[in-house]
Amino acid sequence: MLIQFATVFVFLCLGLGFVVVSQVISHLIRPHNLHPAKQTVYECGEDAEGSPWIQFNVRFYLIALFFIVFDVEIIFMLPWAVAFNDMLKTLGAFAFWEMAFFITILALGLAYVWSKGDLEWVKGLQSRDLREVRPLSVLTSKDAAPHGRVKVSEHGG
Amino acid sequence: MNFTWSDAAYFGPEAVMGLTFLLCVLGDLVTRGRRHVVPFGTLLVGTAISLVLALLHPPVSSHAILGQMVVVDGFAHFFRLLFLGITFVTALLSWSSREIMGRDREHQGEFYALAAMLCFGMMVMAESADIVMLALSLEAVSITSYILAGFARFSFRSSEAALKYVLWGAVSSAVMLYGLSLFYGLTGATSYEGIRAGLSGGQGGMALLVAILFVMAGIGYKISAVPFHFWTPDVYEGAPAPVAAIFASGPKIAGFALMIRFFYVALVQDDSQGTLALLDDVQWPWVLAIISAATMTLGNMAAIRQNSVRRLLAYSSIAHVGYMLMGFVVLSANGLAAVLFYLFVYAIMTIGAFLVVVALNNRVSGEEIDDYAGLGFREPLVAAMMFLFLISLTGLPPTAGFIGKFYLFAAAGEAGLWWLAILGVLNSVVSLYYYMRIARAMYFTPPELSGRVGLAQAHLILLVVLAVPTLVLGVFWSPLKEFADQSLRMLLGGG
Amino acid sequence: MLELADGGSSSLLTWMTFFPLLGAVVISLLPSRNQNLHRWTALGFSLVPLVLAVKLFMVFDRSTSDVQLWTQVDWIRTFHIQYFVGVDGISVTMVLLTALLCAVCVVASWGIQRATKGYFALFLLLETGMMGVFVSLDFFLFYVFWEVMLLPMYFLIGVWGGPRKEYAAIKFFLYTLAGSVLMLLVMIALYFNVNDPSTGGHTFNMLHMMAQANHGEWLLDPTIRHILFLGLFIGFAIKVPIVPFHTWLPDAHVEAPTAVSVILAGVLLKMGTYGILRICYPILPDAAAWFAYPLAILGAVNIIYGAMCAMAQTDMKKLVAYSSVSHMGYVLLGMAVFNEAGITGAVLQMFNHGTITAMLFLMVGVIYDRAHHREINGFGGLGTSMPKYTTVFSLALFAALGLPGLSGFVGEALVFVGAFEVYRVVTIVSVLGIILGAAYVLWMLQRVFLGPLNEKYADTPDINRRELITVLPIAALVIFLGVFPPPIINMIKVSLLNLIAQIPG
Repeated sequence: MLIQFATVFVFLCLGLGFVVVSQVISHLIRPHNLHPAKQTVYECGEDAEGSPWIQFNVRFYLIALFFIVFDVEIIFMLPWAVAFNDMLKTLGAFAFWEMAFFITILALGLAYVWSKGDLEWVKGLQSRDLREVRPLSVLTSKDAAPHGRVKVSEHGG
Repeated sequence: MNFTWSDAAYFGPEAVMGLTFLLCVLGDLVTRGRRHVVPFGTLLVGTAISLVLALLHPPVSSHAILGQMVVVDGFAHFFRLLFLGITFVTALLSWSSREIMGRDREHQGEFYALAAMLCFGMMVMAESADIVMLALSLEAVSITSYILAGFARFSFRSSEAALKYVLWGAVSSAVMLYGLSLFYGLTGATSYEGIRAGLSGGQGGMALLVAILFVMAGIGYKISAVPFHFWTPDVYEGAPAPVAAIFASGPKIAGFALMIRFFYVALVQDDSQGTLALLDDVQWPWVLAIISAATMTLGNMAAIRQNSVRRLLAYSSIAHVGYMLMGFVVLSANGLAAVLFYLFVYAIMTIGAFLVVVALNNRVSGEEIDDYAGLGFREPLVAAMMFLFLISLTGLPPTAGFIGKFYLFAAAGEAGLWWLAILGVLNSVVSLYYYMRIARAMYFTPPELSGRVGLAQAHLILLVVLAVPTLVLGVFWSPLKEFADQSLRMLLGGG
Repeated sequence: MLELADGGSSSLLTWMTFFPLLGAVVISLLPSRNQNLHRWTALGFSLVPLVLAVKLFMVFDRSTSDVQLWTQVDWIRTFHIQYFVGVDGISVTMVLLTALLCAVCVVASWGIQRATKGYFALFLLLETGMMGVFVSLDFFLFYVFWEVMLLPMYFLIGVWGGPRKEYAAIKFFLYTLAGSVLMLLVMIALYFNVNDPSTGGHTFNMLHMMAQANHGEWLLDPTIRHILFLGLFIGFAIKVPIVPFHTWLPDAHVEAPTAVSVILAGVLLKMGTYGILRICYPILPDAAAWFAYPLAILGAVNIIYGAMCAMAQTDMKKLVAYSSVSHMGYVLLGMAVFNEAGITGAVLQMFNHGTITAMLFLMVGVIYDRAHHREINGFGGLGTSMPKYTTVFSLALFAALGLPGLSGFVGEALVFVGAFEVYRVVTIVSVLGIILGAAYVLWMLQRVFLGPLNEKYADTPDINRRELITVLPIAALVIFLGVFPPPIINMIKVSLLNLIAQIPG
């Protein structure tokens, strides 16, 4: 058993070794020319503007999530379709209803997402978003910002 | 991997809970999220039907269903009933909670859908007999938990809690999956039975130890054992109190169920005389014994310094994990029965204590211990119940908590783990100190305001419902003990 | 070895134990406004055990060491736990003492104004716990009662106590719990290593545990036996309290309300020594013999240290509290010598100290109710303004210093007679305790009652009728047993002889 895992170990060592060795070699053979331009982010001369730590609109993530969910669905359906004829023989109609049930569940999810308005790119401002944000009672007590670590910022993107 | 309709009969309660989840979502959708009573009612009815189904057909023998992925036996039955009970009670207590159902809250209906999903996941966790199902059920519970932790999304604390929970969860899930893949690599099997067969050669060595440690990390996170406990106080404090009540009971107990089945089926053998022995020379009980000692000690020591009731209860719940691990490491049916007994009792008393927090949170703004000042005179009934839960958590007779602890200590003593038992009882003494800080605030400090606090009727009724078994099981507990013993018979006898 | 008396089955003790519990339930259902109703109900429910105690005194068979008036019912069959109660000569005196002091203390609590409902309900619950400890013959049952008693005590000190009540209450609770969890572990160890001869399974039955033939192999190792003895002993020593573990006692006594102090000193401290006699000695007699000398030394330390601390106190209640430490030292010394005089003296002293210290605390309570302080130096010449009070208090104080003719003397004398045969040096040192005792008692008497009258207390009303009712029955008992101790000695004698017969060497 263990000997088979030795392959993994060797692979791990080789991987680490490659990084270390190539760094060391390049350090040894590279020219030591400390020009200020070498220190810039892009050596071609473009100066970086602003911080790369910007906030992306949260909707990108939502869309990505939906995509993955409905994409994965295909992975389940394709083999099912390919093997459908064989399954009919062993499972009978159940083979069909099983997938119908699966799709119903997904459809329910889609309907849910739709009704929540998450398919709209410009999500209509719901009335409650305009209302003043009412924090939990915890926030009104002595230490308003939890542990003083979380900075108060706009919610959403 | 053939599906047969007879499988469905054994999987009935789980199927009903899965359906309940879908119906809750559908109900919320149809009513456009305005009539929360629809998902709430659906959850209650679904849980009740599932409970009736489970009670009507207690498994008489062990059944492996759904392609040997899931085993329905007495052990699964025990946890089924426990999880359904927890879901029912926590649904009721959430319905009258301002933190879930308050006017300024949103998506109230979704809460009940998530509770149904959580229950479903937990039931499968206790039944899974295959590492694939183990990982799936664990993720189902985890993902639901993340959403619940961040349920109050306009509260910074709740969001912080959810984020912490996700990060911890993701890391430990990854570690655990790695450990599980090592098991597969070592044995070439994914079912617990197959792993046991593959390991019986006793050649696991270092790789097995690493695999076991990694799986422990994943489960340790779920049950919040030291050193995987850091998320617990923040999540219990940040999440809405009813969610904290669920977390302190449900997923933690499910983690124990999963751990017991995995370790005792895949890693322990039965020499047909009822004595359990390790398959391999990897001494994982020792590792767990040390984790147990560290968990109870650190949990209690940290709890002493807390001023917030919720954080205090969070640390105390960590300490209780330490006590329960004590029964887990002794490798005996008595030890496991003690754990099952304690889990049952623990669920009752910890939900009870959190229920008081929920009930008061509706009316009182603060959750510091000092905010409970004079409660004994303003709300004698609630304070008395709280006190009952506290002494039960401490483990004083005549409460169920004492009996639970007694069995745990007895199991440790029987196995000769006296050092752990001594540490356990000393920790009980330490825990008395901080539990009594709450009692002191309630009874010894005069109230700042007079008059009743005015709590929801539903909460008062639920409190009594939880207090009665806490007391009754402290005086007469034979039925529960026998139920726990019987539940284990199929699990341990089947191997 | 203890045996069950034939045909001795009776429900008397069950009634004595659980009647107060019934009272606690009844009181908690009464309306909370009517304070007098609470008081009278509590009195009613505490008088019943007293009446039953009189009956117990009548029917108790003094000629046998067997367990009498027993009840044995299965409680939790799977774990061999039984509801098993009964009395023998050692426990019967404690049951009588408990019934007497509880009834007295309900009367002494008449002046409690705050939350009377809770107070009396908890008080009756406490009585159930104490009774239960003294009658239990199943270790598990014993432990349950032992712990149940802590909860009401915690509240009685914490809610109705003095200025530092919170500190005192939690300290008491933590100390005693720390002791009892050790006992819990020893109990578990004994359970798994003692066999029930009739079924072959394990047992919590103390009578089976006492029969050495039932002990399993693991339990035969002397080292194990010594460790187990030590575990039990520390648990009980905290309750007694024996000197390194005594620091909870002054705090608890000073802060507790009068009646609770009486119970604390009168009954709770005896639980420690009772536990040693009932559990440590008969179950592990060889270990007891092995530890005898250290026990005697601890007894002497208790006597001297307690007396010296008492002498240094300026607070009357603290003085009485430390005098308890000193007096429990006599009990311990008497128990450490396994001869008839010593151990009889010890048990007699347990009973007598219960009555005497109850009187002392009641008397301190009387003056505290009037002056609202207990500073010994703050009084003076009370003998002229409160003659009746002075008489009763002096009686109690003289009994405490062991004046012949009062009950305190008999026990102490027997202890010294017994101890002198075995440990001469320790006994000679201990006798100094009597001198110290006389010193702190007389010095306090002089400062409080003699000398010029402190004008502030010139018109303090003398002891009233209710207070006299509480103290006179005890005073009568103290005088009666001082001149004629046989009623108690006859009850305990046979059982104690049976006990020391089992202790080797």
